[in-house]
Amino acid sequence: MKRSLLPLGGIALVLLLWEVAGRRLGDALLAPPSAVIVQFVPQLFDGSVLPVLADSLRQMLIGFGLAYAFGVPAGVLMARSRTFDALAHPWLSMGIVTSIAALVPLFILMFGTGFSFRVSIVFFAAVWFVALTVYQGARGIDPRWLEVGRAFEAGPLQSFWKIMLPALCPYLIIAARIGVLHAIRAMVVAETFVVVGYGALIHNSGLSVSTAPLLGLLLVLMALGALATWILRRASSWIAPWYQERASA
Amino acid sequence: MVWEAIARRLPHIVLPPPSIVLVRLAQDLLSGKLVVALLGSLEALVLGLALTIVIGVPLGFALGRNRTLAEMFDPVLNALYAIPPVAFVPFLVIWFGLHLPARIALVFLMSVFEVTVAVSVGAREVNPRLIDVGRSFGARGFELTRKVVFPAALPFVFAGVRIGLVRAINGTITAELFFAAINLGAIMNEDATRFDTAGLLTVIVLLALLGLAAQAAFARLEARIVPWHLRPAA
Repeated sequence: MKRSLLPLGGIALVLLLWEVAGRRLGDALLAPPSAVIVQFVPQLFDGSVLPVLADSLRQMLIGFGLAYAFGVPAGVLMARSRTFDALAHPWLSMGIVTSIAALVPLFILMFGTGFSFRVSIVFFAAVWFVALTVYQGARGIDPRWLEVGRAFEAGPLQSFWKIMLPALCPYLIIAARIGVLHAIRAMVVAETFVVVGYGALIHNSGLSVSTAPLLGLLLVLMALGALATWILRRASSWIAPWYQERASA
Repeated sequence: MVWEAIARRLPHIVLPPPSIVLVRLAQDLLSGKLVVALLGSLEALVLGLALTIVIGVPLGFALGRNRTLAEMFDPVLNALYAIPPVAFVPFLVIWFGLHLPARIALVFLMSVFEVTVAVSVGAREVNPRLIDVGRSFGARGFELTRKVVFPAALPFVFAGVRIGLVRAINGTITAELFFAAINLGAIMNEDATRFDTAGLLTVIVLLALLGLAAQAAFARLEARIVPWHLRPAA
């Protein structure tokens, strides 16, 4: 009982500090939580925020879906084939360290600022992390399992479906979680840069006198990240309950 | 190879082949244009990262060694971490303006969470037996932290700072593009307005190489300072 109160206490303390600091600094510098609620909640439901967010999310999910569909097989291939690993690993290392913001001007030249631009930015942000996570998972598969499969005369396809895929389950979930976080970040980077969608809301609210709407928009993003993580945690306990422990680590 | 093959068929504005990018990279490095910009960018990078280490490492230790603190502030930390750092940009403009302080702040924001989380995990995972040994030799409080916990958690500190370093490089270029364009960010902006894709790619490749080089250099440093800990290859 006492333990479960502590996190709430921490959040309450931070909210309190924020409220006090906000009242001192004023709305223009840091709006206190009370002002955020009063000013932002009506805005949230008057239809100027949620449809935009839904639209941005749709594009983000398409980009993420592509990244996932591409990253998972690439990760497995890299882990199981030495040649492919040698070919692709330098690119993976480079992709991981490449800043998404640096890619934005390039992608604008290549794709314009529309749908394909946003989707490809999200794709490029997420695909490396998906591939890397799956790669690490697939490398960790105990070779003895595959030998058992071979002893039972499982072909390559069978050993993939029946041995590797179940063994990969927790990593597939982790990959999705890391990938989604990076996809959301990339979405915000891309949209803030070209001032469209949800990023445009953030950009424009930065210009307004009060910081309350801006903070509200940030809180929505925060909730979004938490929601995505929560859904994937639930999914992992549903799809692969036997890996519950490792997936939550 | 695939890139070269595809790029040769497309007009160079869309995607220049790597051969051109590499030649351009060498040219701009030798002419000093990129070197000057890079050195300018390093200023925000170094200051931001220093701030991250000064704040993130002690914070990580505090969270790792004190369960009450950890339970109280883990949710807050996770929540803040879930916000994309770029979303803070309008905020940082209000607080810090468009120049160096704002850039430092963004670099700090982008790297501090990774460092704090890694260090707190490291400090939490210190083998309790090591601490018991320290206690039985009469080490208390601060001395225990300095002589037992800190060395034991040092590999995690290094791992955290290594990730933080990459994120900080990321933050540097992000800041130079999103605030007043300067240094490498200014070069990218100019290239973009001139439809100079090769120039853009040159900067991107340079940044990626910088990230890889920084990681490699850091791994060396780590091997020298904490030789007792052999980190499994990432």
